[in-house]
Amino acid sequence: MSKRVGVFVCECGTNIASVVDTVRVAEEAAKLPGVVFATTYKYMCSDPGQELIRKSIEEHKLTQVVVASCSPRMHEKTFRKAVEAGGINPYLFEMVNIREQDSWVHHDREEASRKAIDLVKMAVSKVLRNQPLQIATIPVTRKALVVGGGIAGMQAALDIAEAGHPVILVEREASIGGKMTQIDKTFPTMDCAA
Amino acid sequence: MVAVAQHPNIELITYAEVIKVTGYIGNFSVTIKQKPKYVDWDACTGCGTCMEKCPTKKIKDEFDLGLGLRTAIHKVYPQAVPGKPYIDAEHCLKLTKGKCGVCEKICPTQSIRFDDKDQYITREVGALVMATGYDLFNWEEAYGEYGYGKYPDVISSLHFERLVSAGGPTGGKIKRPSDGKEPKSVAFIKCVGSRDDTKGKSYCSRACCMYTAKHAYQVKDKIADSEAYVFYMDVRTAGKNYEEFYQRSLNAGARYIRGRVSKIYPRGDRLVLKAEDSLIGRPIEVEADMVVLATAMVPSAGSGELARTIGFSIDKDGFYQEAHPKLQPVETFAAGVFLAGACQGPKDIPDSVAQASAAAAKVLGLLAKTELATEPMVSEVDINKCSGCGLCVPICPYNAITLGEIQERGHHGPIKRSVAQINSSLCQGCGACVPACRSVALNTKGFTDEQLVAEVDALCL
Repeated sequence: MSKRVGVFVCECGTNIASVVDTVRVAEEAAKLPGVVFATTYKYMCSDPGQELIRKSIEEHKLTQVVVASCSPRMHEKTFRKAVEAGGINPYLFEMVNIREQDSWVHHDREEASRKAIDLVKMAVSKVLRNQPLQIATIPVTRKALVVGGGIAGMQAALDIAEAGHPVILVEREASIGGKMTQIDKTFPTMDCAA
Repeated sequence: MVAVAQHPNIELITYAEVIKVTGYIGNFSVTIKQKPKYVDWDACTGCGTCMEKCPTKKIKDEFDLGLGLRTAIHKVYPQAVPGKPYIDAEHCLKLTKGKCGVCEKICPTQSIRFDDKDQYITREVGALVMATGYDLFNWEEAYGEYGYGKYPDVISSLHFERLVSAGGPTGGKIKRPSDGKEPKSVAFIKCVGSRDDTKGKSYCSRACCMYTAKHAYQVKDKIADSEAYVFYMDVRTAGKNYEEFYQRSLNAGARYIRGRVSKIYPRGDRLVLKAEDSLIGRPIEVEADMVVLATAMVPSAGSGELARTIGFSIDKDGFYQEAHPKLQPVETFAAGVFLAGACQGPKDIPDSVAQASAAAAKVLGLLAKTELATEPMVSEVDINKCSGCGLCVPICPYNAITLGEIQERGHHGPIKRSVAQINSSLCQGCGACVPACRSVALNTKGFTDEQLVAEVDALCL
């Protein structure tokens, strides 16, 4: 089956579009080998933006997706889910950062747009070689360890224990309580610390 | 505190430190070293007879910051939880000189164990909450103008807490350390070590404005005809009911002076503070019987080392680094390790409690699952290419690679050889091992050589 890549260029309101010519990026992307569809949208991470990705996958029978938007730290998970909802393995997806690494750090519209096109080119080339990956599972030991028996450690330990999970609380001193027990009264209510 | 000790789901291990953590989110193995207490806490009833009879009575009490005295066998403080005593090996006559042993003789439950040793305890857990707290900035080393700690009546705010506490060495009466007299005039200096790039830390310690307002109020409240001077740079009262609390101190008669104190020196049995009142633009001089320094909060001793042991980062000031300052304030960069309280940055009690509950909520979210999905973008070994050289093993920051043995068919029967093996649960897909491999046997899924070369080609060709 031949590979059919879709490219989605986000404007991020004016965050990207004010510096990068997103329409031109999409037009250039559409000419790349393997790309069968390219478009722009104001906020690709929004519900309608994700819906656009999902519908386009169906409509254009896409097999790979590239989203050019912000940092993957921000929305990689969002778009993986959208791609998965469209019926594609979420790892047949690449994200291009044309915000933090382009529009936010450049002023020249022409140069920034060319950089965005180059970045999209790289991602398209990569995504054509992506393999579907499968998520594995690992077991969870349903116990927690709290290091430090001051006010924060005690509160965390109590909350977890109250929810029914075993907690091990380790304290360096021979008694729990921490600095709080050395304090007389506490602001702003002047109640006793101990 | 008692609720913690009595909770059926909480195992309390005190006088102990975490020395090793291996594993990964959902599957940590923790080694805890418990120091010798020399008292069998299972047998001990906490009656306290040993503490009464211990002849070594003149040890400066750490809990009272040296303002009071304690015995060699003692509790951290009278209401300690667990309420059992332990022996301070550094001062105990039996443990240092082999003499005495009074506590052993008089203990009604025979709980004294002079042969107690370090104990190593291992526990398997799915999540960690770091709540290692803070220490106070060591102002004695940095602030020569305040006397490097040589004036006994220049004390830290935590000393003041002990003086004003009903359970403290003075029974809650404010007495100055030098002669036990009630100070009629107390000066407070804020931002000692905080907001001071040259001698201390650049950050604000957040709690000092409020506790100093409390201290000034306590002076006015407990000592008749007293004066409380507060030298400040700014008064920061961002918290619910905080501004009102500060106004209460002002209304009680605390005198706030905007300016830094440049020098403290003795005059008779009093202390002179030279400062500038920056609101009137003039130098001023104030005489006080006692000076209280609001010292900065710094990370707890040893906390940085612990972060390295477990494998998460600290910030430029040594506090534990949160994964995101706004969106992930209780997570660390190590999955399954969460932060609570002042170990992440200076915090007051309300904020510490709130963050602790947030960390607990994150832990509960994790423990609500019986299994976790793992990121498939991890490294893999092509065993046909792997030469078993082992170069990748020490490179891996997550200890995910080991050398294992495989058996293959050879011309003269089966042969064994070593190959790298990757634990995909430990591997974080960082890719550090890939360039280390001379046989090109390693690849990170999703970032294979083929994919990366294709990217470069797209740009250059």
